[in-house]
Amino acid sequence: MSLVVIYIFMILAILAALFALECRRLMFSIIGLIAMNLFLWVLLLSLNAVFLAWIQLIVYGGGFTALFVVVVALTEKQRDESFDWKRSVIALVIVGALMGVSIWAVTASGLSVTIGTSTIGDSLRALWNERLTDLILQAVVFFATTVGVGSLFIHHKKKKEEAKA
Amino acid sequence: MIEQLHLLILGIVLFGVGLYALLGKRNIIKILMGIEIMTIAINLVFISLGANSTNELFTKFAQIFPLISIAIGAAVLAVGLAIAINNYRHANSVDTDEMATLKR
Repeated sequence: MSLVVIYIFMILAILAALFALECRRLMFSIIGLIAMNLFLWVLLLSLNAVFLAWIQLIVYGGGFTALFVVVVALTEKQRDESFDWKRSVIALVIVGALMGVSIWAVTASGLSVTIGTSTIGDSLRALWNERLTDLILQAVVFFATTVGVGSLFIHHKKKKEEAKA
Repeated sequence: MIEQLHLLILGIVLFGVGLYALLGKRNIIKILMGIEIMTIAINLVFISLGANSTNELFTKFAQIFPLISIAIGAAVLAVGLAIAINNYRHANSVDTDEMATLKR
């Protein structure tokens, strides 16, 4: 793939992320998020990180998107009307300063080496060698997800009693 | 071949975009989207740094840590969205400023 095309995909990924955050309609925001994931998928494929590219597309582009769609549909507030100028300007200043310092630090350290990534075989071998860590992490993830989903079914007894009274 | 520097800058910019959502937005769904974008940016930086062929161990783990990060990101998103729905049932709003009602 031509270098120019990859750089175009990089810019498109940033624009899609900005669109996802600034669009007022939440459903369109989700579409922006899908677009960003697709552009990054191409980028990861071009970096030879095939395994991660597909996992990211399946999990972020598929699973997370479905979750977002369900939540937007459940909350019934499909337009984000809240826009706080003061907060946004402060956030932009902080983010701008942080980004400026980070980019300066990265460029000053001379990290401009040409690259190529690990193969799928390497990744699978490393996963197998570290299977205990993987299992523990998966247990933590399952626990957190169970707590999150379980919290949806908590009955608010006090509120119900108040409503009855 | 893409230069590592440009990928790192892309990661920083994407992280900045996510951070902007975290600091500047009040809608919890947008904030969670920002967190997701930040996670993706970190994964991208990991991949670009992992390509450093001088450190073999890091190269091998370059694709493994983002995988773990994706799994943890899924848990974070599930919990965050569950909190969002719960708060909506309570306060009929997805605004983070009204999230104080969650403790009652």
